[in-house]
Amino acid sequence: MGEVGAEASGGPIGGVPVGGAPIAVERPRRVSFNAVLDGFFFVYAGIAAVWLAWLVLTESFAFGWFGILFFLAFWVVLAYLVLPRLHRILTTIYVPDYFIGRARTSDGLLGDPVNLAFDGDEASVHAAMRTAGWTRADDVTGASSWRIIASTVTRRSYDEAPVSPLFLFGRQQDFAYQQEVEGNPARRHHVRFWRTPDGWLLPGGRRVDWLAAGTFDRAVGFSLFTLQITHKIDADIDIERDHIVDTVIAANPEARVDLLADFSTGYHSRNGGGDTITTDGDLPVVDVGAVPVVPEVAR
Amino acid sequence: MSVEKRPAFEPPAVLVRPAPVAPMLRRPVATTFGAVLVVLRVLAGVIWLVSLGLLWRKTLVEDLGVPLDSDVEADAGSNAVLAVVLGVGAVVLAVELVLALLIYRGSNWARITVMVFATLSITGSAFDYFGADAEITLRTTLVTLALDILVLLALSSRNARAYARRPRSAKRRPRG
Repeated sequence: MGEVGAEASGGPIGGVPVGGAPIAVERPRRVSFNAVLDGFFFVYAGIAAVWLAWLVLTESFAFGWFGILFFLAFWVVLAYLVLPRLHRILTTIYVPDYFIGRARTSDGLLGDPVNLAFDGDEASVHAAMRTAGWTRADDVTGASSWRIIASTVTRRSYDEAPVSPLFLFGRQQDFAYQQEVEGNPARRHHVRFWRTPDGWLLPGGRRVDWLAAGTFDRAVGFSLFTLQITHKIDADIDIERDHIVDTVIAANPEARVDLLADFSTGYHSRNGGGDTITTDGDLPVVDVGAVPVVPEVAR
Repeated sequence: MSVEKRPAFEPPAVLVRPAPVAPMLRRPVATTFGAVLVVLRVLAGVIWLVSLGLLWRKTLVEDLGVPLDSDVEADAGSNAVLAVVLGVGAVVLAVELVLALLIYRGSNWARITVMVFATLSITGSAFDYFGADAEITLRTTLVTLALDILVLLALSSRNARAYARRPRSAKRRPRG
C-alpha cells in the first residue's frame, strides 16, 4: 500500500527521463495520493500525541516523588510535540497565507512583525550590516543549538548565536544579524532578512528587494502559545527598528532611507511567543545598493 | 504584475498538491530522530523477544494456562513454537532495522511503510485502552506506545516529508 503510493507520488519526477532538469518538464499533478496520506498521518500523529501526553500525565501520579520526572516529561511532550502540532494543524486553517506584514513561526503562528525593508543586492546588505557593527547569526544546527543552551546556562557570550526560524513567503529567513548586549545571550538585538519573490510588490505597490523583522530579545521565558522556552521580546519594537536603521545609516554614508509612514497601523498585538508588541506602523526602506562591497573577511 | 493573488487560507487543494520542489538537501533533525526512534523500537523488540525466550515456560503455564507438566511431547512442541516465534520476530525486527536505515537515507516508501505500521499499532493500543480497558502503564506497554507515537510525529512532520520527497538527482534514482 505504502509502496504503491510512494511510487505513484514520485510521478512528477519519476515519469521523466533521468537527467537534466526534470522538474521544469512535467507539471505536478493536482492531487497526490501520497500528500493525502501524509496529511492523514500529520493529523493522526497530533491526536495520538495528545493521548500520549495524557498517559504520561496519569503515569506521573503513580510514582510518588519520582513522578515529578514524569511531570517534566509531560511538559516536554506538551510543549514540544503536542501544542506545536495542534497549532500547525489549526493555523493552516485560520492564519492568512498571504503577506500581512507578519512573519510566521515554524508552527504557523503569527511571529515577529515585518518592520523594515531593504533595497540592494545580497552582498551590499551583508556589507552594510557588517560595517554597522552587526554579527551574522549562525544557522541552527545541533552544534550551535547546544552552544546556545550552554552559553545561556553559564551566561557566557555567544555573539553568533543562531536565531529561531521564522517564515515569510513560506520560506525561512535567508539570514539574520544580531548584536549581543552586555555579553548576555539572553539579551540581544536581532533582525531577520527575507528576499522578496521576483516581481513581488508591497501592499500599495512599492517594490523592495528585502523584508526584515527586527526585535529586541530582553529575556528568556516561556512562550504563551506553546509553553516552550523562548526569548521574550521588548514590546516597543519601534525602538529596535530605529536602532537598526540608525546604526546602518551612521556607519554607511552611502545608505539612504525612505519612510513608508503608517505602513501597517493596527496589525500588531502579540508575536509568536505571546509577547505584546506595539508599533507606529512605519516601514523604513533602507537603500544599501550604493554601499561598496568589500571582500568578506574570514568570519 | 506576475504574482497572482493568493487566497486567505491554505485550501485543501493546496495541501494535497504534491510537495513543492524547494530542494531541502540537508537531512532535517526530524528524519534523523525518526530513524533513531525506529532503531530504539527495534531494541525494545529485541528486549521483548529475549524476555519472552527466558520466561517462555512461565508465560505458558501461568498466563496462558497451558499444562506442560513433565509432558515430553508438549515440551518439545512448545519449544518448536518458541523457535518459530523468535524466528519470525527476528525477521520482522531485521526488516524494521533496514527500514530505519532507508528512512535515514531519505526513502519515502520506507517512511510511509513505517508510519502505516505505527498507525496500526497505535490504533490497536487505543482499542485495547478505550475498549477493553487494558491498562497502559510504564510496566506494560507505555514505552512501545510512546515510541510508536514519537515515530509517527517525527516522520509525519513537514521537514521529514519535504526531505523524503525531495527531488532526486539522476544518481540517486537508479531505477529511473
